[in-house]
Amino acid sequence: MKLTKLSPESGQDKAKADGISRRSFLSASGVAAGGIAASQLLAPGMMQKAQAATNPRKEVETKRTICTHCSVGCGIYAEVQEGVWTGQEPAFDHPFNRGAHCAKGASVREHGHGERRLKYPMKLAGGKWQKVSWDEAINDIGDQMLKIREESGPDSVYWLGSAKYSNEQSYLFRKFAALWGTNNVDHQARICHSTTVAGVANTWGYGAMTNSFNDMHNSKAIILIGSNPAEAHPVAMQHILRAKERNKAKIIVVDPRFTRTAAKSTEYVRIRPGTDVPFIHGLLWHIFENKWEDTNFIEQRVYGMDEVREEVKKYNPAEVEDLCGVGEEQMRRVAQTLAEHKPGTIVWCMGGTQHTIGNNNTRAYCILQLALGNMGVAGGGANIFRGHDNVQGATDFCILSHSLPGYYGLSAGAWKHWSRVWDLDYEWVKARFDQNSYEGTAEKPKFAMNTAGIPVSRWIDGVLEDKANIAQKDNLRAMVFWGHAPNSQTRGLEQKKAMDKLDLMVVIDPYPTVSAVMPDRQDGVYLLPATTQYETYGSVTASNRSLQWRDKVIEPLFESLPDHTIMYKFAKKFGYDQQLCKNIKVNDDEPLIEDITREFNNGMWTIGYTGQSPERLKEHQQNWHTFDFTSLKAEGGPVDGEFYGMPWPCWGTAEQKHPGTPLLYDNSKTVAEGGLTFRARFGVERDGVSLLANGSYNKGSEITDGHPEFSAKLLQQLGWWDDLTAEEKAAADGKNWKTDLSGGIQRVAIKHGCAPFGNAKARSVVWTFPDKVPTHREALYTSRRDLVEKYPTYEDRKSHYRLPTLYKSIQDKDFSKEFPVILTTGRLVEYEGGGDESRSNPWLAELQQEMFAEIHPGDANDAGIRDGQDMWVETPEGARIKVKALITRRVDRGVAFLPFHFAGVMQGKDLRSKYPEGADPIILGEAANTVMTYGYDSVTQMQESKVSLCRILPA
Amino acid sequence: MKTSKLAENPGLLRRLRGLNLALICFALVLFLAPMVPYTMAAVSPDSATGFWDQIRQGDTGVTQIKGYESGNLINDSGIFWMEFRNKWISPGGAWALALSLVILVLAYILVGPMRMSNKPSGKTMERWNRADRVIHWYVAILFLLLAVTGLSLLYGKAVLIPMMGKNAFSGYMDLGKDLHNYLGPLFILGLLVMIVKWMKHNFFTMIDVQWFSKMGGMIGNQHAEADYINGGEKAWFWVLALFGIIVSGSGLVLDFPNYGQFRETMQTSALIHAASAILLLCGSLFHMYMGTLGVQGALEGMTSGQVDEEWAKQHHKIWYDRVKQNN
Amino acid sequence: MARMKFLCDSERCIECNGCVTACKNVNEVPWGINRRRVVTINDGEPEEASISVSCMHCTDAPCIAVCPVDCIYEAQDGIVLHNKDLCIGCGYCLMACPFGAPQFPMENAFGVRGKMDKCTFCAGGPEEDNSIAEYEKYGANRIAQGKLPACAEMCATKALLAGDANDVSDIFRERITYRGSNAGAWGQSMAYGRKAKD
Repeated sequence: MKLTKLSPESGQDKAKADGISRRSFLSASGVAAGGIAASQLLAPGMMQKAQAATNPRKEVETKRTICTHCSVGCGIYAEVQEGVWTGQEPAFDHPFNRGAHCAKGASVREHGHGERRLKYPMKLAGGKWQKVSWDEAINDIGDQMLKIREESGPDSVYWLGSAKYSNEQSYLFRKFAALWGTNNVDHQARICHSTTVAGVANTWGYGAMTNSFNDMHNSKAIILIGSNPAEAHPVAMQHILRAKERNKAKIIVVDPRFTRTAAKSTEYVRIRPGTDVPFIHGLLWHIFENKWEDTNFIEQRVYGMDEVREEVKKYNPAEVEDLCGVGEEQMRRVAQTLAEHKPGTIVWCMGGTQHTIGNNNTRAYCILQLALGNMGVAGGGANIFRGHDNVQGATDFCILSHSLPGYYGLSAGAWKHWSRVWDLDYEWVKARFDQNSYEGTAEKPKFAMNTAGIPVSRWIDGVLEDKANIAQKDNLRAMVFWGHAPNSQTRGLEQKKAMDKLDLMVVIDPYPTVSAVMPDRQDGVYLLPATTQYETYGSVTASNRSLQWRDKVIEPLFESLPDHTIMYKFAKKFGYDQQLCKNIKVNDDEPLIEDITREFNNGMWTIGYTGQSPERLKEHQQNWHTFDFTSLKAEGGPVDGEFYGMPWPCWGTAEQKHPGTPLLYDNSKTVAEGGLTFRARFGVERDGVSLLANGSYNKGSEITDGHPEFSAKLLQQLGWWDDLTAEEKAAADGKNWKTDLSGGIQRVAIKHGCAPFGNAKARSVVWTFPDKVPTHREALYTSRRDLVEKYPTYEDRKSHYRLPTLYKSIQDKDFSKEFPVILTTGRLVEYEGGGDESRSNPWLAELQQEMFAEIHPGDANDAGIRDGQDMWVETPEGARIKVKALITRRVDRGVAFLPFHFAGVMQGKDLRSKYPEGADPIILGEAANTVMTYGYDSVTQMQESKVSLCRILPA
Repeated sequence: MKTSKLAENPGLLRRLRGLNLALICFALVLFLAPMVPYTMAAVSPDSATGFWDQIRQGDTGVTQIKGYESGNLINDSGIFWMEFRNKWISPGGAWALALSLVILVLAYILVGPMRMSNKPSGKTMERWNRADRVIHWYVAILFLLLAVTGLSLLYGKAVLIPMMGKNAFSGYMDLGKDLHNYLGPLFILGLLVMIVKWMKHNFFTMIDVQWFSKMGGMIGNQHAEADYINGGEKAWFWVLALFGIIVSGSGLVLDFPNYGQFRETMQTSALIHAASAILLLCGSLFHMYMGTLGVQGALEGMTSGQVDEEWAKQHHKIWYDRVKQNN
Repeated sequence: MARMKFLCDSERCIECNGCVTACKNVNEVPWGINRRRVVTINDGEPEEASISVSCMHCTDAPCIAVCPVDCIYEAQDGIVLHNKDLCIGCGYCLMACPFGAPQFPMENAFGVRGKMDKCTFCAGGPEEDNSIAEYEKYGANRIAQGKLPACAEMCATKALLAGDANDVSDIFRERITYRGSNAGAWGQSMAYGRKAKD
């Protein structure tokens, strides 16, 4: 009896307690009796009354796509009739979400309405929005940019990309910026998980979520710190609650706020904002004190734990109670819980990363997992939930000012590698850049091409800072916001000033975004309508490193164009379209997505984006139902034995059929089956101590001890060189596993059971970072002045990512008297990111109609504020916002919380009239980041948006 | 989470509930009916957690959905309201109306109309001036329209749908509801004018006590003297005034939901409205009987405004005497 | 005959409002009308719990008993539906319903409310199955298509269950077994004090 047009879920019975099988209900109830035949023929209802006039018996096409909101990567069946998106069905067979959605995912069909979209290219002329043609827009903008390039060099144009791109667009965008000749290119990852990527990659090799959402089914303990999946990654909660239910897993939530996630925890720990390191070290103190650490694991696979032990001694229970506000008893209980419930996993998000010491926080989390021996096991790992749907992919393709795709960096070698992949002359690429050195010395120049560009968190300083203090030729003069909401960045007032000062602003986005209305400009602003991902196709990388293929659901709405088409149009204007798409077929200005995938397959050896060919990705997309809900491994079917989405690293070429790596560093499997060791990334020895693994190796490895990364030379030394084919030999000669474009070195290493990137120890000390061992430092704007002396911040830095960066000079000023309340920010489930898209969706907007601040009843009474009343939030840098008071014990006394998705109101002034007509979001509100203050991470320039100071006043 | 509705101020809610309880007690008194203890919390806790009890007791949470009471998960006052309406007011009202009719029929058969004891004199005197008559009939006609539509709302489902079918009834009721809702306030205006205008005639005096003690002369051949308005009429006036105001007040609460009344207020009002309306209806049956079949010659007073002097002498001797004296 | 029921597992409900937008999506419910809502009790306090609520398709539904024009009816499988053509917008159903399920497009002076709207268990209304008229008045008829209500099908954590009462009970019972406690069930019985099973 076929009841639905969807294929029945595999493993349905096993998963029954997780949901409802339509089949079982319907067969029991007989409801379907009259409906079965109809379901084959009839469409679900039409989308709108206007469209309902069409015949409901039109043929339904079902597309498989992925939600474009968060990085969980929920599958969606989109039903399309005659080009109109008329239905959205739950994908019960999708391995990540089993049909489940949060408010955002359940409302994605609204993208097909797009009432509030930016509908055609527009320019600001004399303070009015004017419709222009695409050609005119590209020409005008192009001419102005070329003029700026002529006058101030390529670095004066900033290409701000997006985590909303597909992988193909991300890759093309990074390449596009490189060919323009600048490293002033960045995207949201800078301000979400850059400290994670830096901290984690420097600990064990790769800067990504090590396990998966599904793998949490195996966890016996889950500690979430600075993470609120109930609102930020709701479908992840399905997996977490499953572990809680079935494994009796302990759920420990560590957060300054009693979040929706905390409400589902078995233990809630409230810490003072910004005290993650003392908290983790406090746990480690108990762990070491009671010998709960995994000594065997540490001995074999961890470097530098002794130095951590020394540091941790400082964080005794009394000290931790003073710093975090958590008592000894609870600290001990949490430590014991983690020690006794293994495997356990740690989850962290923005609450941990967005700090001046974000990189310390992320490394501390890693160290906790290393000490407990929770790495490389199912149910363990560091499950770092990424934010945007493709922020993992966009990070991997390094739309980042400090690296080329695949984290190759910016060295000459990296440029040569990519020039080879692009089939371009390295010298030609080099010539595209500013040929001067600004940061190096006379003997050792560091050319613009090889120095990290200005990060997105600091672009405003790139505009406003004195030219003499910036390590590039001139200030930023043109800014391209390509899929980016400016209200996600701190220091809103200065941002407005920077926008006012720019020569040229270009916003390329499906929505005008608040960039269109923030500045007080009369001209020099262009709005170009880009499509959403539902109007194009390509691959997207979920948080767990799985690549998923999206179908195109509908044709581009209005006059919008897909991002890669717009990139090509600009490249054509700038005269490097031939170079940009040398290996890529172009149809009517649209580069062919599959060709882009193949090109990056050819270059992304470092992190194994090489095996995921478009063909394989599409095959996975068509076989959602064959993958296991916990292991993500296909059982039978055309992709038998492969892991869903071939989580990277998917080694070698597509022909080598590597199944993907579901769990990083899991040495219980062979590398060919997705096993892995820790990466040998930091050399082989330091101070005479080996950095390689000690007696630990993955299953099937012919080298039964640690070993360095593979190169042609190592293959020859091992006598495995002749395992290469003649063609491979030609390509691999003098190369290593990262640069051999044939994939032969990787193939042979794996053939012998070895991980191509070597087998080393994870390091719990990072000697290249400002703090070798993670240590606590008080926030720049701290209310605990008494701790500043003992836990001071860094010295100011003259040039960090080309810009002077302040620490001590800010912390030295005491604002705690005038601004006594700690201010922190976070997410709401109904909105995402800057919120321009979700606040334009009536189904979501209806659920969050007002910007608010959560304040404690005590603080509210002190300030004379009643629930629901308007109040001002004022911060030390002179900004203030008017918001509704929500009085709740969710926050602690002395802490205020702001959701960060609102924008369109600035310091009490409504900017709605400045939007192009019909493109204003339904809901506007004060942006939290208008008041968030200065502060940047010492390694990545991540902005501090989780700890500041404020005062609250009734409005 | 977040933005909680201020309207859901628990203190206020509790106070309102208290008020409602008082109103309900009042409704009970109206009926003087033995109330089966249908408690508002007719639920027994089957789960051990206090959380569920909290919800059952109607505790309010927060929700992102705007609207009155949207934060309330369970409000079982509706069950009480439904039970009261369907098990008490609806059948009780039917019985009350039926009983009234039976009494009137019996009265007609057993007692018969009060005829004029003397032959009409042919000379008339003005009893109700034009303004009185206009206000009477204005109120009376609206009352009847409201009664018919109101009764249809209460009994139409049982009585009219079997006769006319759902579609026709819904069509009629759609109009009926609007009539009821728009005419209600007009009725109230008339009622208030009438009360004010006639109040001065309707204060009880010792004469009325005697009148009552003789049952208005209805029983046997006793003669009950009365002024311009007799005791029975006064009693009806006050019933009308009191319950008319109650019906009006509760009706206004129901008619203007735009002020965001709490549900309990609406429920209580609906109960009071129905109960007092039925009571008025019963009363109006007696009034109509007395004004038409029950007392020969009474109707003319309200149609032409003139009554025969003999009639006046018989029924309102004191008034008659005074009028004659003044002339 | 089987009965269709909703059950919300408060141990799993995280107030993500997915059910709310799923309903908006498949039924194209206009702004201001919410057939489903999620309510959080003890918000921000240790006993915080969220529950998704809509029309619970009660057995012996009070709304049916009070509707003066008899426009609400129990359809096949115990689903409570209504006929908007008959509805006169009197608001009695809202007064009777323990869950606040009936919705009205307006609440104006003189009792003008428009036609009542409420959760249909994604079963449309009295019109022909999956006709345009049915969709415009009541939204999707997923039941006739062999599907279940979108809110439950799309629930982020599978907290909201919908379907045959016996199957819903089975699923919930399995969870209780895992948990070792029967906390969490929220169904029609909550308002009437009966066991979840009926």
